[in-house]
Amino acid sequence: MRIAVCYFCSSPCYPGHGTMFVRNDAKTFRFCSSKCHKNFKMKRNPRKVRWTKAFRKAAGKEMVIDKTFEFEKRRNVPIKYSRDLVQTTIQAMKRIAEIKARRERAFWKNRMSGNKARKLTHQTSEISRHINLVQPRASKTTDIMPLDERAKVREKIRVNANKRPGMVPTKAMKKSALVPADGGMGMGMDVEL
Amino acid sequence: MGRQRRSRVHKAQRDVHRAARTRVRTRDLDLIQHNDLQPEERAKLENQPIDEEKPGLGQHYCVECAKYYETDIALKTHRKTKVHRRRLKDLRDPAYTIEESERAVGLGRDNGKDRINAEINAKVGDKAGEAVQDAKMADAA
Repeated sequence: MRIAVCYFCSSPCYPGHGTMFVRNDAKTFRFCSSKCHKNFKMKRNPRKVRWTKAFRKAAGKEMVIDKTFEFEKRRNVPIKYSRDLVQTTIQAMKRIAEIKARRERAFWKNRMSGNKARKLTHQTSEISRHINLVQPRASKTTDIMPLDERAKVREKIRVNANKRPGMVPTKAMKKSALVPADGGMGMGMDVEL
Repeated sequence: MGRQRRSRVHKAQRDVHRAARTRVRTRDLDLIQHNDLQPEERAKLENQPIDEEKPGLGQHYCVECAKYYETDIALKTHRKTKVHRRRLKDLRDPAYTIEESERAVGLGRDNGKDRINAEINAKVGDKAGEAVQDAKMADAA
């Protein structure tokens, strides 16, 4: 059983899965999914599409140069079956996979090593740039008023509220429209008040 | 790397599904780069015999863009356009191939030179222990 490699994203294409496109020069293109096929039809370059393996390798996100890549190759050399060779090959495959995984881990660690310091400098610079957003509002000394000033303001507001028409009964409101203002009853009214 | 969003300037460019049909497929970059741009092939494409089926009788062909033009003027104007210059830029890098898609998962090809060299080295015996040593180093790591 041969497991093909997707042309676009380089993921495995198992038999019976995916699509194959044969170009008129007899080159076969395997696609793991319709997503990859569509992207191929759009003539996108897998090296520039971030989710593909080709991008990750080209952009230095993953290990590219290593001796462990030297073992698995298409050599097109007929080899006679031998039981010993198969057994040693299977053993070697396991061992190589182990070593490769360890090296990939080391590569990743190395790639991520500077991140903490970089993040810290980025954050500190951002805070220093927007320091006024971080400080509490009370610390703005210009906004603080002395206590007696604040009391004055409160007094002023109260006075204003008293002067608002309709809030406090006044002379003008008490006078009825039915009573003539300058009639004979005028004197009496005034006395009453 | 890649563009975040297409620049929305060409409002007439619609119906991408019809444009993506197999029968309207245009020539791939790797074919142009490995085949058409070779001097011999290029000369052949630029001096084609008169063909009534092709636009402009097949006399005005842009090799890089794999496209026929009606007149020489049209071809010359095309060579100054953004489309053509963008294509030239794309062709500057080596085209993406099936081999590269396989290499991306660590599946290489070894059909000739490297293997022969390795065999020679093995016969000489100076580099025979290199692979073994490398495995040992990996164990130590």
